[in-house]
Amino acid sequence: MKAQQAMVSEVTTSSDANRSAAPVATRVVGVSKRFGKTSVLENINFDVAEGEALVLLGASGSGKTTILRIIAGLEQPYTGKVMLHGKDVTELPARERGVGVIFQSYALFPKMTVEKNIGYGLRIRHRKRKEIRETVDELLALVQLEEHRKKYPSQLSGGQQQRVAIARTLAYKPEVLLFDEPFGALDAQTRKHLRREIRALLRKVNVPAIFITHDQEEALELGDRIAVINLGHIEQIGTPLEVYSNPVNEYVATFLGAANILAGVIKSRNIEVGSALIPLHESDDFADGQKVKLVFRPEDVSLTKSGDAGPGPSCIARGIVEVTNFVGAYERVSVRIDFSDSCTDETDEEFYLTTQTPESQTSKAIIATRPKPEATAMRLKQGDRVAVNLSSFTVLPDLPPRQKEAPKK
Amino acid sequence: MSSIVPTMRHVRGFDVARPLSIGVLVFMMLPLVFLPLASIFIFGTSKGLTSFWAALMAPEAIFALKLSMVTSFWATAFNVLFGLFAAYVLSRYNFLGRNALIVTISLPTAIPTAVAGFALLLLWGPYGILGRFLAPQGIQTMFTAGAIILANIFVTFPLAFGVIKPVFDTMSRSLEEASATIGATRLQTFWHVTLPSLRGAIVSGALLTFARAVGEFGSTILVSGNLAGRTQTAPLYIFAKFNEGQIEAANAIAIVLALFSFLIFSVLFFARDWLDVD
Repeated sequence: MKAQQAMVSEVTTSSDANRSAAPVATRVVGVSKRFGKTSVLENINFDVAEGEALVLLGASGSGKTTILRIIAGLEQPYTGKVMLHGKDVTELPARERGVGVIFQSYALFPKMTVEKNIGYGLRIRHRKRKEIRETVDELLALVQLEEHRKKYPSQLSGGQQQRVAIARTLAYKPEVLLFDEPFGALDAQTRKHLRREIRALLRKVNVPAIFITHDQEEALELGDRIAVINLGHIEQIGTPLEVYSNPVNEYVATFLGAANILAGVIKSRNIEVGSALIPLHESDDFADGQKVKLVFRPEDVSLTKSGDAGPGPSCIARGIVEVTNFVGAYERVSVRIDFSDSCTDETDEEFYLTTQTPESQTSKAIIATRPKPEATAMRLKQGDRVAVNLSSFTVLPDLPPRQKEAPKK
Repeated sequence: MSSIVPTMRHVRGFDVARPLSIGVLVFMMLPLVFLPLASIFIFGTSKGLTSFWAALMAPEAIFALKLSMVTSFWATAFNVLFGLFAAYVLSRYNFLGRNALIVTISLPTAIPTAVAGFALLLLWGPYGILGRFLAPQGIQTMFTAGAIILANIFVTFPLAFGVIKPVFDTMSRSLEEASATIGATRLQTFWHVTLPSLRGAIVSGALLTFARAVGEFGSTILVSGNLAGRTQTAPLYIFAKFNEGQIEAANAIAIVLALFSFLIFSVLFFARDWLDVD
């Protein structure tokens, strides 16, 4: 754990140094929230820098929406503070905070045209008509909806409605933009397209943004940084690359991307997994005999057929191909590792695959993915005997997963 | 056997059931609705339009029509505002006794109007629970135009509420939340966001209430005292003139009331698109 933290904080500090030039736009300090006796948020802390996009990633019920609503002022925290550009706004009602919320349903006013919707924030601030018209024109151009200005929200597509919702908040120059599951209501194609569009738009207007999503792909693409939220706690916060390649625990590893997890024990700077001994990273610091988990991504596994190139230096064991699945850009291979079958053992006996094999100590299924060229160059079929090599992995202490907190009396 | 017999329904592509069922429908409505309505017009105009006009222009008749309009207007104004307020409270807040309140508000439609009028007399009348304390002060509520308004409010109480509340219930909360985060006060949000969505419901609620109030008879005859030229509404006038045997006088007002309700319901029906515009 220490090793991981050290590594992560090292990386974080370096990226912090890059961000330190930009002032903090939004700061959430020690926020917790209870609904009745159930605790939904515990000690949430994070900063969003000027112009930065932070993604709060978590399963439904993780409390991510509550964080957003607390920042917006639609919900009061039990403890803690919300600061916007250095000002404590915790006690301010939503209308005095000046944050822009893009609701999941967009919440456009149905009886107002596109331009009325966009000008609403300025109208209620009693700005001059000329100023309102100029701002609305500017924003309509920005979100490319000039020809739709006289339409009503019900006459627009989902993507267009979302752009109106963004323009409506930009009109009053918000302190921060909060997106609540912005692409939840759209189909997969539109989603991808809009993600890029919003990312480009945010870069143009340079307003800090907080996104909420349960979609890891979306999180990786939208966020300058990602905060993984689980049961009201921030498990990890960092750049997409940091969080993906150095997850601090099993939850993060499995929630953000797919991960294979093998149980092991530390033996003199090696991890013993079955009969395989895998050398620890230089920076990893574990005691002898400590139980650990070996975490690796499917794309970090390379499979070699025995007899072909032979096992690589990073071979952990041999296994048998159970299923191969072609899923578009890559091939997914399920391999049942047999730890009694070490890498150096070069026998060429026939292996028989039985589907009824009970999950034993020495046998464990893992998932590997291979890019298409590799999959075509070396075809694998069910029952093939392969050597399993790891190009990269993370070692985590064997800790019990976070439990849902019992209601406090 | 039955498969050999050709079915009656489709004779060379002609659907017999269609004209047959429409015919039966119209035929059934004839004695029940169409003919009674038609009789009013046939009788009312049988002696020529001049005598119809003269009956209509009788001072008491004009007074009765005016009184009906004025009392219905105030009852409608009150019930629409109250219905709006009640719908807001009952759909926004959850509290103990909420359902009991909803049932109570809806109750007046189920109560016979004569009972409603009687209940008002027992409360406000000279010997009523409240009235007996007011009478010595010289405050007389019953047998005045005010009493007619009270009776109208009572019997049309749930109509506007019943139309407005469902719209409140289905209205997304995020609209109001969005308005708040944009910077609007509660009043601005209500005026710019909530009210426009209720426009259709308010207009149709008002029309329904007004139409019902204009026609109210049972409670009005008890609480108004039925004093010609003072507290006699249009329906009471019809009843009084009929009792006196002045069929023509009664008939003239009946035509006006029938046309009036016809007008209101046409508006409700044909302006539906405008009222529900999104």
